[in-house]
Amino acid sequence: MRGNLVNKRLLITGLTALSVAVGLSGNVIAADQDVVTVMNPIVESKMAERLPLSPRLDTLSGKTLYLVDINWGGPQAAWSVYEQMEAWMAAHMSDVKVVRKRLAASYMVDDPALWDEVVKNGDAAIIGIAG
Amino acid sequence: MGRFAKTLELKGIPTVGAAAETMVNYGIDYDFKYTNGMPIRYVAFPFPVAGQPPEVHKRYVEGEDRLSHKPMMTAIVDALTKPLTKNETFKGVPPEARPEPRLLPKDTEANMQRLFKDKDWTDYNPIILPTEDRVAAMLEGTSRKPEEVVATISWPGGDRKLTVEKAAIAAVMAGARPEFMPLILAVATRVPFGNSTSSMANMIVVNGPIRNELGMNSGTNAMGPHNEANAVIGRVFTLLSKTVGNLHSGKTTFSTLGSNLQYNNLTIAENEELLPEGWQPLHVQMGFKPEDSVVTIGIGWTYISSVGEVQIGYPPHNLMRDYMHALSSSGSAATIVMDPTVAKLLKDVHGFQKKEDLSAWLSGNVEKTVASYWGNGVVSTVNSAMALQGLEPLATWLKAPPDTLIKPFNNPKSIQILAVGGNIQTTWFVTDFRLGRGVKVDDWR
Repeated sequence: MRGNLVNKRLLITGLTALSVAVGLSGNVIAADQDVVTVMNPIVESKMAERLPLSPRLDTLSGKTLYLVDINWGGPQAAWSVYEQMEAWMAAHMSDVKVVRKRLAASYMVDDPALWDEVVKNGDAAIIGIAG
Repeated sequence: MGRFAKTLELKGIPTVGAAAETMVNYGIDYDFKYTNGMPIRYVAFPFPVAGQPPEVHKRYVEGEDRLSHKPMMTAIVDALTKPLTKNETFKGVPPEARPEPRLLPKDTEANMQRLFKDKDWTDYNPIILPTEDRVAAMLEGTSRKPEEVVATISWPGGDRKLTVEKAAIAAVMAGARPEFMPLILAVATRVPFGNSTSSMANMIVVNGPIRNELGMNSGTNAMGPHNEANAVIGRVFTLLSKTVGNLHSGKTTFSTLGSNLQYNNLTIAENEELLPEGWQPLHVQMGFKPEDSVVTIGIGWTYISSVGEVQIGYPPHNLMRDYMHALSSSGSAATIVMDPTVAKLLKDVHGFQKKEDLSAWLSGNVEKTVASYWGNGVVSTVNSAMALQGLEPLATWLKAPPDTLIKPFNNPKSIQILAVGGNIQTTWFVTDFRLGRGVKVDDWR
């Protein structure tokens, strides 16, 4: 115990004598080392306003599920996966009505008419497939 | 995609976002925090989805969600029916972003150089550290105030303000001179660089008196590493894309191969002085005055060289046509970069009295099969839905037999011609770069 105290005192004394500082990199900088002040090249990013998800359904039974293809990768990417999903639903959850739809243009273009249709006729949706 | 899921959620429709496993973390992390604000429930498919046969897609659907590790369809049903967590019901204005300090804590020069690389703020070539004195000297190159906002960057999300001072910092890092600042600020209005999984690149074309004021190279070796202004100004575009643009590999940019062109962004000046009579410089074609200084930034992927001399037996425009078969024709866009001697031959020997004549000829003569046209993923992603809705000529092209020849560069105004080079060789490049609207450099003096 006493030995540790002595060692700490020696360390503090030594650091004081060297007049050290700790740089941004976490490295110890001795007083005799040249240091520079540099401007920060980056900018803070503003976080998005937090919004809640809509309440979930109790069940999908008897509901209409929209499968929305955002056209990423062309007409036979998500669309083909959705065909398989529709077949799976028919086999395992046959009381779910499945509707497959595409965005009117690419995934970069909004499609308000489609969202109105989903709201009017649907209960839930899958949107994809990115990547 | 997250924004569409958000739209439906706001309208009361429970929605699942589906993404490939390579992209899903962007959706649940960066996109959620800085763009969407809504904790969309995702499922993750194996990659790739496009290009796979139906039997693979069947396995994907019957397989595992790579995010939750539940069976895929169970994960989807759960995402639509499991009650929301506390986090998923949270609503509120986020805390103010903690402002980045204007100055970094003091450190040794070696440690600072290391820090800039560790933070991915460089292109991994050495930089000049942006001290206050150096940045102040750089700001002497413009009358604009340091705090003035040049652009607000919201892709990727975060609404970052690119100020004149931040542009000057990047200019110092890249090794610019103060007189480069007006051009650098004009370029900064178009930051960040192309960010696409398809591995995009940019082209920066400078026209007008600023070319000669800055000593830019539009002649011999214009596209090579032989000129200070060409090299440095292109580099600033990349450094700003990484610092203020916040583009970092695997976090906010996912270009699968990336592009070596992003080291310099194909920064060139047009050799206006050697254009044949009647061939206007790019900026004049766009409606600017000849005495305006203008920078035009394009986006694309690739270029193909003629390799050797022009041959009398097979004129250059024929070979350009042939080589353009290999380009995607996305947006009907191409930019032909040719030595001034090629431009002169095209005019004097082959009768193209102005650039627009050549653009029109190429538009009317480049053909490819519809199978090849739709075989390009970008074309297919962007255009197939419009074709399915009946938009012509896309609808006809989609229904046509695979070997049907079409003329996909159907908008000659999207085919740009540039004269660049030193009258050394009758070489030319065809490129798939789509040039945007020019930015007037004089506004940033």
